[in-house]
Amino acid sequence: MKKTITTKNAPAAIGPYSQAVEINGMLFISGQIPINPETGKLVDGGIAEQTDQVLKNIGAILACAGYTYKDVVKSTCMLASIDDFKAMNEVYSAYYTDNQPARAAFAVKDLPLGSLIEIDTIASK
Amino acid sequence: MKKTLLFIAILFVIAGISCTTADKDQKEVKRVITLENTPAKRPYSPAIEVDNMLFVSGQIAVSQATGKLIEGGIEDQTRQVLTNLKNIIEKSGYTMEEVVKCTVLLQDISFYAPMNLVYMEYFPQDPPARMAFAVKDLPMGALIEIDAIAVK
Repeated sequence: MKKTITTKNAPAAIGPYSQAVEINGMLFISGQIPINPETGKLVDGGIAEQTDQVLKNIGAILACAGYTYKDVVKSTCMLASIDDFKAMNEVYSAYYTDNQPARAAFAVKDLPLGSLIEIDTIASK
Repeated sequence: MKKTLLFIAILFVIAGISCTTADKDQKEVKRVITLENTPAKRPYSPAIEVDNMLFVSGQIAVSQATGKLIEGGIEDQTRQVLTNLKNIIEKSGYTMEEVVKCTVLLQDISFYAPMNLVYMEYFPQDPPARMAFAVKDLPMGALIEIDAIAVK
């Protein structure tokens, strides 16, 4: 049975989507952008700060649904610039330390609200 | 050194064999969804079902009747794309309510708001998780492409 996940510890959706949907032990988390859930605004700073906020948002949604970073099986990292690849990886590696999820990463033309990064996540347990 | 290499090689062979065996034991569970007018030349299926999960290929605003991209702006194209998705989902025996995840690819990020308005009509309640972003180019010069995953 499909269940939508909603938490105040991650930014509210800025469009007609759920923060995450869980079904049959799988969790589909919407693409997260670096919005601070307390202010509702994009965080200040560059790619490192933005990646950190995105992964914190993902962590809050995982926790709300009863999952952890260790349950993540797939990430899709979209960057506004491919030049941010290395700096993104450094922050990303701090959250996914071992048995890292499968991943696709690429630069897109533009992200919502002019973000530098968006990460989409699938977890399973 | 040679012994170690040989040992590693044997390990690889064993791993290879066990993988092959696992594949043979597996039942054929993948179901390919086709439509009457699916073009034969495309190297992808409209949808694939496995274990009560449906993976629907990215849809662009091609009219089922003409096989061509429809005229019109982002609203019209979004509506056509979602009509195409709904058609495939329902022909596969699923419903729009069972969609858990969509990917929205836009030709321009300024389409985000108008796309959302049409998108809401198709997912009025408990909408799927989603990622949306602007890409460099879409096939046939489309303004939007959406793919979906549904789960029963």
